[in-house]
Amino acid sequence: MANLTLTARSALDGFTKDYGTLQLREITGLAVVSIATPLDGGTVLSKAVRAAFGAGMPSPTMTTVGKNGTRLMSSAADQILVLFDHLTPDANAVVHAKIKGTGYTTDQTDNWVALEITGSNALKALERICPIDLHDSAFAVDQSARTTMEHMGVFIIRTDAQSYTLLSASSSARSFLHAVETSITNVL
Amino acid sequence: MSQSNRIKGGQVDRSKPLNFTFNGKKMQGFAGDTLASALLANNQRLVGRSFKYHRPRGIFSAGSEEPNAMVHLRRGAAQEPNTRATVAELFEGLEATSQNHRGSLENDLMAVTDLFSRFLSAGFYYKTFMWPKKFWEKIYEPAIRASAGLGRLSMQADPDIYDHGFLHCDVLIIGAGPSGLSAALSAGRAGARVILADEDFVTGGRLNAETYDVDGMSGADWATTARAELDAMDNVRLMTRTTVYGAFDHGTYGALERMTDHLPDSDGKPRQVLWRIYSKSAILCAGATERSIAFGNNDRPGIMMAGSVRTYANRFGVTPGKKVAVFTNNDDGWRTAHDLKAQGVNVTAVIDTRADVSHTLDGAKIKLGHTIIDTSGRKGLQSITLDNGIRIDADCLAVSGGWSPNVHLTCHQRGRPTWHDDIAAFVPGGDLPPDMVVAGAANGTMTLAAGMAEARKTANDVIKSLGFTPSRKAAPKAEDEVFAITPVWHAKGGTARAWVDLQNDVTTKDIKQSHAEGFRSVEHLKRYTTLGMATDQGKTANVLGLAVMADASGKSIPETGTTIFRPPYTPVPIGALAGRARGKDFRPFRLTPSHTWAKEQGAEFVETGMWLRAQWFPRAGETTWRQSVDREVQMTRNSVGICDVTTLGKIDIQGRDAAAFLNKIYANAFAKLAVGKVRYGLMLREDGICYDDGTTARLSENHFVMTTTTANAVTVFRNMEFARQCLWPDMDVHLISATDGWAQFAVAGPNSRALLQKIVDDTDLSNEAFPFMACAELTVCGGTPARLFRISFSGEMAFEIAVPARYGDSMIRALMAAGEEFDAVPYGTEALGVMRIEKGHAAGNELNGQTTAQMLGLGMMVSKKKDSIGSKLSEREMMNQPDDMRLVGFKPVDQSNELNAGAHFITKGDTPTMQSDQGWMTSVAYSPTLGHSIGLGFIKRGSDRMGEVVRAYDPTRGKDTDVEICSPHFYDPDGGRQRG
Repeated sequence: MANLTLTARSALDGFTKDYGTLQLREITGLAVVSIATPLDGGTVLSKAVRAAFGAGMPSPTMTTVGKNGTRLMSSAADQILVLFDHLTPDANAVVHAKIKGTGYTTDQTDNWVALEITGSNALKALERICPIDLHDSAFAVDQSARTTMEHMGVFIIRTDAQSYTLLSASSSARSFLHAVETSITNVL
Repeated sequence: MSQSNRIKGGQVDRSKPLNFTFNGKKMQGFAGDTLASALLANNQRLVGRSFKYHRPRGIFSAGSEEPNAMVHLRRGAAQEPNTRATVAELFEGLEATSQNHRGSLENDLMAVTDLFSRFLSAGFYYKTFMWPKKFWEKIYEPAIRASAGLGRLSMQADPDIYDHGFLHCDVLIIGAGPSGLSAALSAGRAGARVILADEDFVTGGRLNAETYDVDGMSGADWATTARAELDAMDNVRLMTRTTVYGAFDHGTYGALERMTDHLPDSDGKPRQVLWRIYSKSAILCAGATERSIAFGNNDRPGIMMAGSVRTYANRFGVTPGKKVAVFTNNDDGWRTAHDLKAQGVNVTAVIDTRADVSHTLDGAKIKLGHTIIDTSGRKGLQSITLDNGIRIDADCLAVSGGWSPNVHLTCHQRGRPTWHDDIAAFVPGGDLPPDMVVAGAANGTMTLAAGMAEARKTANDVIKSLGFTPSRKAAPKAEDEVFAITPVWHAKGGTARAWVDLQNDVTTKDIKQSHAEGFRSVEHLKRYTTLGMATDQGKTANVLGLAVMADASGKSIPETGTTIFRPPYTPVPIGALAGRARGKDFRPFRLTPSHTWAKEQGAEFVETGMWLRAQWFPRAGETTWRQSVDREVQMTRNSVGICDVTTLGKIDIQGRDAAAFLNKIYANAFAKLAVGKVRYGLMLREDGICYDDGTTARLSENHFVMTTTTANAVTVFRNMEFARQCLWPDMDVHLISATDGWAQFAVAGPNSRALLQKIVDDTDLSNEAFPFMACAELTVCGGTPARLFRISFSGEMAFEIAVPARYGDSMIRALMAAGEEFDAVPYGTEALGVMRIEKGHAAGNELNGQTTAQMLGLGMMVSKKKDSIGSKLSEREMMNQPDDMRLVGFKPVDQSNELNAGAHFITKGDTPTMQSDQGWMTSVAYSPTLGHSIGLGFIKRGSDRMGEVVRAYDPTRGKDTDVEICSPHFYDPDGGRQRG
């Protein structure tokens, strides 16, 4: 074994910026693990998920929040994403163990870059890139949606009244940041 | 500044004078002016030249329907042509210039065309430029192009930025005039999410131009009060300076918001925003547009729409003339006369085509039952001549031929308006865009009280249908003005030309000629004469043109029919349509995990799809890309090279039926692939044509990782999802993309094992422990999870090592550090391509959607023992002919020759024709290993023709090279090197 060690580097090097009424930052240390429901294994998995995270399986467009802020989000048919704070590259093993192997897990952490946009003008900025309706009546806190922004696929989660988490592909993280930043500077 | 035509009243802010220039001449207006009102205030009547005949033209209207007053705004790169002075807000320092003239505006050299007008009538181009044929390209087209168009582009990059956006609402109300405000108040009070959009910079529409009372106050004050109430509602978004320009599918509307056009500078913010508005329902309250009457020389500066003259007087405190005459066929024209009189303007005459009206006006000549047949005044109206020969002095003529509802958006999904005799106009008809309703003047309800009441009721009906409870608040109190019209379209009797479409210079004579020459359908009329085809879409001209056509054909207007409107309602700048998509912002870029490191090495990058990949890594002293690529190939083959292959698609496949699923997806067998092994797989389309290849590794009994080509990563994933969800929903199999999640590096060359042995933790990489096509999940560099695959694209002993992407940057640095003792080299996509061609691997050039497994020499891979996608159709007789193309190698007979992809193969002695075409060259490279150019390609019966010399015929490059057919495996054909 060589005397070499590897250092983790987030997609945007921990970007954070304050725009006065609005803040934008890369959420680092957020683990993302997918759980696919085995055929005919939904009931077993649901119980295991609730026991593991203290939250139920989310329905489409909704997220549920469990112990320690772990958020579960529906991401596709028979598939959810588990989002939780976790620094080391063993998130898949952690989730797999927690649900006792009742679902098929895949570490998705490095597939995504996570941005958090917060502030009273967040909605105003998002209007410039987000095609979906983010009005209170259409997109309440804890709701999520999968959409595109400036040609890039995005999961958007409303985590608070004025706070949104955006997940987009890590390979295009720089372009995504540019798109969101442009939206902010164009309206502020 | 004099502002000699400024009169009392109006809504301009006289405490805020604004300086501007027109053709360099300094002028002054007030805040609240448009450029047009400010020009008129300064008695600037001549503002431009007409499109075809270069006739002097002035301001014709007071809104977006303006056909004449088109100007350049601003200077330099920011100069914008064809801007309507009637909607351009005045700001301090505005610079406007007239357009479409050679020489000065006053002395336009091109005005000579007007002298030849009798030769330039409708169809002139079609008739004149037919012969001689060879004149077209060299003489006619350049001459026509030189004189065509109105304004001129700056020919510089647009210095402004633009943006797009998305809005959602329950009700979109288009137009904030009396009807729109009434509808918005009803919908807003009920709690619905409302967007109220208006192209003007103030709300109120005609209320600002009229002297009507609403709810006991002036209409303009009521509009201000209504706006204040709407502004206070959180559920209402009021958007002025916003034109809803198109009605698209599913309640989606396009809108252009002019954010900074009214400011001297955009201050780095988007000048305009193009909104996509998603609405549950839309209420069109777009009002109506006044139209003209055709009479001799009706296009002179000073001849204007009567309602617009009223607008300038009432809203802007400007009279367009000192001696104003009114020509009307309806009661509305009289309102202009009365309002001007009330403002102290000298109204010299009112000419009404109707004989039996009871209107009077003190001090004005009243001519009932008469028409105007001619006018005088080359650069500005001086007098009018009536059909009885009487000549009346006037420097402004206010014309009212009636009002046409603004039905445009109702037509955007093929709705065809219907004719209403009582108002002599088309109203919305046919199939309107789903969930659109129309209210007020746009719906043909032409009077104030009736329009506002209709809008309120319409809004209540709409919001009720959406589940809201309408407010009980009563409709605003207003009165219905008298509205009566007896249509007169064309005042006949004179000999002078009578204009119908001012912007495209279409006259009544052109329309009659169109009819006489057989172009009688309204669609043909439109295209033959270009009526309504200018940037104003004939807003003031179309109905008049149809009426003239109907008259010529002896039919009624409804029998004649109407053309319909397409988006956009008013012009939308290309910059706004493009939004941010300029330069590098045209599309996103995907970066590999080693991108930063590669940049540090000075790599040259290439776009492969959205990815930026290192193409080669130049070193000091290398002056051509070939030197770098040759070096990278040679050093890899001699020692070890490293390439970032993260871009390959990676699909994580899990489930009890994952192996069975893959067996159906791939043409070759996968069911029995052992855990810890990798297999090359070939995918066919349903029709049996190959579309992708790659490797799939079995990490555990129910867990596979597939790689796809970079280009097909999405397609393969999508097809597999379709298969999983739709073809075999009973299989327990689950897919998720892992492309971005893993940084993957190819480590190739005889020293690859030695290098990696320094990286991996406690894993034996010997041939015995980790042979060719082995795979493993392991750790590297002291505990970082990784995946290792022993696969080779280069033909060398090679591995692909993958780590979570967050370690990608660190990993390339570690690999290079570990490889230092072996003189490890990074290689880019060019060297990758050279090595795969030397090895004879098929890639995108060979998998071009036309090739079968047989053609690729992979026919044996299509298993006959199982069913897989495309396998049955790949057995079709015509896809398995003995003389089919086969993938083979080619080398130049004269090894100093370079080969070119795209060359076609011709048997020696044959004449190159489509019939003698034997195949084509797909990929070429200079092989530093062999020392000459090599190629891969398809040629008929290729595998039976080894050693034959054929021509590589390449007429597009002017090349014809003799090449020898050979094995596609130029390098290590037995595979000994890759097996280590």
